[in-house]
Amino acid sequence: MIAYAPYLILLLPLFSAAAIRFFLHPFPRISVSLSTLACLGSFLGALTLLLLGTPEGGMSTPTLPWVEIGTWKAGFGLLGDPLARMMAVVVSGIALLVHIYSIGYLAHDSSRSRFFAELSLFVFSMLGIVYADNLVTMFIFWELVGLSSYLLIGFWMDRPAAGAAANKAFLVNRIGDFGFILGILGTWSLFGTFQFSDLTSRVASSPSGWVVTAVGLALFCGCLGKSAQFPLHVWLPDSMEGPTPVSSLLHAATMVVAGVYMLIRVLPVLALSQVTMTTIAWIGGLMTLLPALIACQQDDIKRILAYSTLSEIAYMVMAVGLGVPGAAMYHLTTHAFFKCLLFLAAGSAIHGCHEEQDIWKMGGLGKRMPFTAVVTILGTIALCGIPPVSGFWSKDEIFTATAHHPGLAAVSMVAGFFTSFFMLRMILIAFCGEPRSEGARHAHEGTFSMITPMFVLAVLSVLGGLLPVDSFLGGAKEENHASWTLWISLIVALAGFVPAYHFYRHAIREPLSLNILRQKFYVDEFYQNVLVASQDGLGRLADAFEGWVVRGFVVRGSGVVARAAGQGLRLVQCGQVQAYAAVFILGVMLLMGWILMGGGVK
Amino acid sequence: MEAVFFWVLATALVICATAVVLFRNPVTNAVCLVAGLAVQAALFVTLEANFLAAVQVIVYAGAVMVLFLFVIMLLDVREEARRTIPWVKVGGVGIVVLAAGLGIPRVIQAFPSAKKPLHWGEGVVSGSARDLGTLLFQGYGPLFLATGVLLLVATIGVVVLCRRDPEA
Amino acid sequence: MIFSEITLGHYLALSSLLFVIGLAGVILRRSLLIIMMSLELLLNAANLALVAVGRFQGIPDPQVAVFFVITVAAAEVALGLAILVAIFRIKKTTAADQLAGLRF
Repeated sequence: MIAYAPYLILLLPLFSAAAIRFFLHPFPRISVSLSTLACLGSFLGALTLLLLGTPEGGMSTPTLPWVEIGTWKAGFGLLGDPLARMMAVVVSGIALLVHIYSIGYLAHDSSRSRFFAELSLFVFSMLGIVYADNLVTMFIFWELVGLSSYLLIGFWMDRPAAGAAANKAFLVNRIGDFGFILGILGTWSLFGTFQFSDLTSRVASSPSGWVVTAVGLALFCGCLGKSAQFPLHVWLPDSMEGPTPVSSLLHAATMVVAGVYMLIRVLPVLALSQVTMTTIAWIGGLMTLLPALIACQQDDIKRILAYSTLSEIAYMVMAVGLGVPGAAMYHLTTHAFFKCLLFLAAGSAIHGCHEEQDIWKMGGLGKRMPFTAVVTILGTIALCGIPPVSGFWSKDEIFTATAHHPGLAAVSMVAGFFTSFFMLRMILIAFCGEPRSEGARHAHEGTFSMITPMFVLAVLSVLGGLLPVDSFLGGAKEENHASWTLWISLIVALAGFVPAYHFYRHAIREPLSLNILRQKFYVDEFYQNVLVASQDGLGRLADAFEGWVVRGFVVRGSGVVARAAGQGLRLVQCGQVQAYAAVFILGVMLLMGWILMGGGVK
Repeated sequence: MEAVFFWVLATALVICATAVVLFRNPVTNAVCLVAGLAVQAALFVTLEANFLAAVQVIVYAGAVMVLFLFVIMLLDVREEARRTIPWVKVGGVGIVVLAAGLGIPRVIQAFPSAKKPLHWGEGVVSGSARDLGTLLFQGYGPLFLATGVLLLVATIGVVVLCRRDPEA
Repeated sequence: MIFSEITLGHYLALSSLLFVIGLAGVILRRSLLIIMMSLELLLNAANLALVAVGRFQGIPDPQVAVFFVITVAAAEVALGLAILVAIFRIKKTTAADQLAGLRF
C-alpha cells in the first residue's frame, strides 16, 4: 500500500493545476489556497514516506506497460527508494515555502491564478522526475518540467524580454534533450533495460569501449541542458526575466538540479567509462570558475545569483564526475536551502525598492530592511562555505573529493575565491552605503507571508550541516577528511572578501571595468553570430534552392516546357488544307519507302 | 496494235491531265477533265475491261462532271488570278516526283507478271457485265449493299448541306 | 522493245504519272474547284492501276474494286460540291488559302 504513495503525492499538485486551469481562473484566492494546500499535502506525504521507509527498501510499484514493440519495452513506473524520498522532501518542502512566499509577492498581480496553476504543474512534473523508476518516465517528466519552466519564465506575457527568455530556455534545453534521447536509446541497446534498479545489476557484465563512453556522454548532454552547464548554460541568466519566486524555485533549488539527480541515477552507466567521468568532472570544474568570473561584473541582483547558481551546480556535477554522488546530493540539499533563501531575499529587496533590480540603484537597504539584510548575509556565508554553517560542510565534502586531482582542486578553489568576492560586492553595494534612488529611499520589508519562508530557510541554511543526510544516501561518503583541502579552501574563500571590501566599501559607481566578464565572455554573441547566423545562412540557402530549383525549375519549368511544346505544336495547325494534304502525302511516302526498303512484314 | 493504241491514248491522257492542272479557267479545266475521263475509258477497253469503260463514261464523265459544271455555272466562278507559287510547294512536289520515280520501278518489279506483254483476246480475265456482275453480287454482296447505304447517306448529306436556313 | 511490247510496267508508270500530276494540282492550285478536279485525277490514276494489275495478273477482283471506287468518288464529289456551295454562300470565295479558319 505504501508503495503507491508516490502516485498520491504526484496527483495532488496535478489535480490542483487542472482544477485551477479549467475552473478556478476567476477566483484567485481559491486558486492560491488550493495550490498551496496541494503542495503542503505533497510535502507531508513525502515526509511521511521518508520517515516510514527503510533505508534499503526499493518500494517500487509495478511498471505500467506503455509501448511494447517486440522486445523493446517502455513503461511508466514510480520508485520510492531512499534517494528519491529524500529528494522529494527537499523539492516539495522548498516548493511549499515558495508557494507561501508567492502569496505575498504576487498579492497585487491580476493573473496569480495562472501563476499558481503553473506552479502546481511544475511541482507535479518535478516530483515525477524524482520518483521515476525508468529513463522513459523520467524523460516524460523532464519535458513537462521544461514546459513548466517555459510557462513560468514567460509569465508576464506583456514583456517581450520574458517571452524571448522563455523561448531561449526551452530551445537550449531541447538541444540537450536531443543528446539525452540518444543516451536513453543507447542505454537500451547496451543493457536492454530502462529501469534504474536494473542498471546496477546489468552493468557488471557489460562491455566497455567507445560505445559506453558515447552513451554516457549523451546522457550527460541532458544534464548539460537542464542544469545549464557549458556550453548550454546561456539560458539560465536570461531566465531571470521570470518572477523571483520562479527564479528561486526552479532555477536555483529544484529544476536545475534535476540534471544532477539524473546523473546520479544513471551513475552505474557513467562509471563504466573513465573518459566519461573525467569529462564530467572537468566540465564541472571549469564551470565553477567561469560564471564566478562573470558574476564579478554583473549589476542585476538576480543575474549575480544566477551565475552563482551555475557555479554551485558545477560543484555538484564535478562531484558526480569524481565518483562521490553522496557529496553531490549533500551539496544539492544545502544549496537548495541557501540559494532559495538568497533569491527570496533578493526578491524582497526588489519588491521593497519597487521593482528595481540594479544594485547600483539600491544602497542603504541594511538600515531600511534589516531582516532581509541579515538573511542575505547568512545565505552568503553558507554559499561561500564558511564554517560552521551548512554550506561549509557540503562544500568541504566536495573539496575533499578533489584531493587527488590537483587541477580540479585548484580550479574549484579559485572559483571559491571569486564567489566570495562577488557576493560581498553584492552585499556592499546593495545593502550598505547610502540609497541611490527614490525606490531605495522608501524601501520597506515585505509582508508576513514573505518573511516566514525566509526565516525557515535561514534556519535550515545555518543548521543544515547537522541534518543526518548521510543515512539516507546510498552513495559513498569519504570518511577521512583530508585536512589540507579544508584549510586551503577556507583560507581562499576568506581571502576573496578582502579585495571586495577594498573596492566596494565606499563605491558609488563600478570601479572596475572588465568588459570580457561583463559581456559573459561573449558566449551569447558567439552563438548569435556563428550558430544562429549560420543557421540563417542555411535557411536562406534552402530558401534560394526552393525558390530557384523547386519552384522555378521544376514547377514553373515543367509548366514552361509544356507551354512551349504547345506553342510549337500549334504552328502545325495552320488551317491550310493543302498544307495538311502535303504533310499527309509526305507521311505516306515515308511509310511506303520504309516498306519498300524491306521493313514491316516480311 | 496494242502498242499504238496505248501510246496514243497515254499521250492524250497526260496532255489532258496536265491541262487540268495548268489552265486557270474552271470551265476549260472541266472540259479537259471530261476528255481525260473519256480517254481513260478507252484505256480500260485496251485492258479488256469493257463494262468498266462503259461505267466510267456514264457515271464519271456523264454524271460527276456534269455536276461539276453545274456548280461552276451556279457559282459563277471567276478565272483564277496569276500568282507566283511559293517555292516551298514546288519543292515539295518535286520531292514527291523524285521519290515516285525511284520507287515505282521497284514496285513494278514486284509483280510476277511484270514482263508479260499485252495481247488482246487471250481471255486472261473477263470484263463482261455478266461475269463482273456475278462476281460482284456473289462475292462482294455485303459490300455492294454498304455502298448503297453510302450513296443514301451522301444524298441526305447533300440535301442538308445545301439547305438555306429558314427565314426567321 | 519498250515501245512495241506493252507490259504491266507501262500501265503502272502511266498511272503513277497521272497520280503525280493530280497531286501537283491538289497542292499547287488555289481554287477549290480545281483542287477537287485534281482529286478526280488521283482517283482515276488509282483505277487505272487497279484494272491494269487485274488484267495482267489474271484476277477479276480489281475490277470490282474499281466499281466501288467510282461509286464512292461520285458520292464524294457530290458532298464536296455541296460543302463548296455552302462555303461560297458565306465566304463569297473559293480560294483555299482564304478558308483557313480552323487554325490556332
